[in-house]
Amino acid sequence: MIEFDELEKKMVLKLVYYGPARSGKTTNLLKLHDLLSDEGRGGLMVLDTQDDRTIYFDLLPFFLMAPSGLRIKVKVYTVPGQVRHDATRKAVLQRADGVAFIADSQLTEKVNNSESFDNLEKNLSIVGLNIDKTPLVIQFNKRDLERIIPEPEIKTTWTPTGLPFFLASALEGNGVIETFSGLLGLMYDNIDRQYGLLAKHGLERETFLKKMTTKR
Amino acid sequence: MSIEERLSFIIGEEKELRDILTGEEILPLLERALKVGPLAARLLDQIGTVLWGVGHVETEKVLSVNCPLYLEGEKTGQIVLFGHENRQSELLIIAEFIAGTVNAMIVNNLKRMLTTEIHTTIVNQSYEELAASEAKYRDLAEKLEVKVEQRTSDLKQAHTILLQQEKMAAIGQLAAGVAHEINNPLGFIASNLNSLKKYSERFIEMIALYRQTIGKLSLPRETAVEFDDTWRKLKMDFIIADTEELLIQSLDGCKRVTKIVADLKAFSHIDDGGIVVIDINTELERILNVLSHWIPADAVIQKKFADLPGYPCDAAAVSQVFLNIIQNAIQTRESGLQLDLETIHDRNKIKVIISDNGPGMAPEVVKRIFDPFFTTREVGKGTGMGLATAYETMQSLGGRIEVDSKPGCGSIFIITFPVSEAVNV
Repeated sequence: MIEFDELEKKMVLKLVYYGPARSGKTTNLLKLHDLLSDEGRGGLMVLDTQDDRTIYFDLLPFFLMAPSGLRIKVKVYTVPGQVRHDATRKAVLQRADGVAFIADSQLTEKVNNSESFDNLEKNLSIVGLNIDKTPLVIQFNKRDLERIIPEPEIKTTWTPTGLPFFLASALEGNGVIETFSGLLGLMYDNIDRQYGLLAKHGLERETFLKKMTTKR
Repeated sequence: MSIEERLSFIIGEEKELRDILTGEEILPLLERALKVGPLAARLLDQIGTVLWGVGHVETEKVLSVNCPLYLEGEKTGQIVLFGHENRQSELLIIAEFIAGTVNAMIVNNLKRMLTTEIHTTIVNQSYEELAASEAKYRDLAEKLEVKVEQRTSDLKQAHTILLQQEKMAAIGQLAAGVAHEINNPLGFIASNLNSLKKYSERFIEMIALYRQTIGKLSLPRETAVEFDDTWRKLKMDFIIADTEELLIQSLDGCKRVTKIVADLKAFSHIDDGGIVVIDINTELERILNVLSHWIPADAVIQKKFADLPGYPCDAAAVSQVFLNIIQNAIQTRESGLQLDLETIHDRNKIKVIISDNGPGMAPEVVKRIFDPFFTTREVGKGTGMGLATAYETMQSLGGRIEVDSKPGCGSIFIITFPVSEAVNV
């Protein structure tokens, strides 16, 4: 968590879209920006890209207020996927309240996916986050393409891990909100346990998710 | 250092307008605005505090318009313009124009700050990684230097020891050569002396017969007196008595020379070459003989030799070990020297213990006595190689030399030979 100020009644949370290069992290944010209501949401901030590839990160902020008056700000970030930007990834990952891992469904990208996931595990531990306690969802993106990892295989691989996974085609806008919503739900549960979102602030899970994912 | 400590900045950290904008950027903008109508312009933060402002506000007939400022999409402040009541729509346009400019400024400044922070983070991190790897390499280089130094010193030591051994071999060869050369003349000197002794006995016998015969003859008185005078003058009685003594002494001397030469040859082991089986006790005896000239006259030497198995080794090198240590012991005192030599046969080792009652050595000297070129003697008197060579020899035999010495308490050298390969002579 970036900030929690009880006096100021302010809570700032951070979600990170992680994954290999060109797996569609920025596209996910762009689609969220396009699909979700302007209300309670800031503009998408894209920090310098080079040849359409993220060098720093992208940011999409969301705001809502709990019945108790607690102002909740959720900042959603992407990391640069390229291997050489590892330092930036670590910096962005810091104090994250949840991670969406965006995998590329193409068969050719299997190795990149797994290397990036290893990198995520390593960096989480470096920045002091416990992977078992950090909300984490997996998105298999680019389902619209051919020669992709078949769904049954994904199921067989990921069901035993207990990690929620989503199939998506970010370019077409499919599965993007579902992934985001899945991650928000896990994050809500986690924060609720620690800070009593429902008990202290009267914010119900359903309300939180609905407010955060209202479509235009 | 953890990343948390290294990062002074957390991506996503909340910022306020005052962190992102500066007076230098905002004030000129507000001042320009005043030129086209408004009486005053203010930039307010989230809770209404004036961050920057220009112009004065008359209380009467003035109205204000405001436009929101956004930071990361959240309303975090506003631009407020004051002007005459009748110019509201104009004011609104100007306010929107300024707010639009400031909003763009906020986004750009925030981007710049974030990229700068990330940059700094990465540069710092790279610097630390670089410093760490540099330290690693420096450490490696230092270790390498130490290793090279050690190797150089080892090589130097090996080289000097080799030189010393070569020198000793040369001296041994020389000694053996000289001994051989001495042996021949010594042989005929001894043989001739034996003959001479027999001859002189005959001379004496013949002279005695002459004298006896002459005594019986009635010679003229002068002649008899002359005989007697000359006999006395030439001290013939003494000569006759001494001749035998002289020859016996000379023959004895010859025998001693022969023995010394033989010991010298044996000691040099010049004829052996390679590994031979030696009796350590005999070697010790022989060294005492070779060194006899240097042993002070009043020295007391005690020998306590155990029965030892034959010991196969490079005999010359082992003799050299004993020689060096005994020589040192002998030189510790000019008078009143007590030298103890003891040999012990333990099941799998032979120990030779050489102790003296000399002045002993200080610990810092003891520490260095096996170092090449370390000597306590004046320049030119000692090479400082004796004990270094001895140490090296014992190392190569798988044995060792230990020393126990304290100032004023004499020194004890214990030389241990492993005897797994020992055979009985």
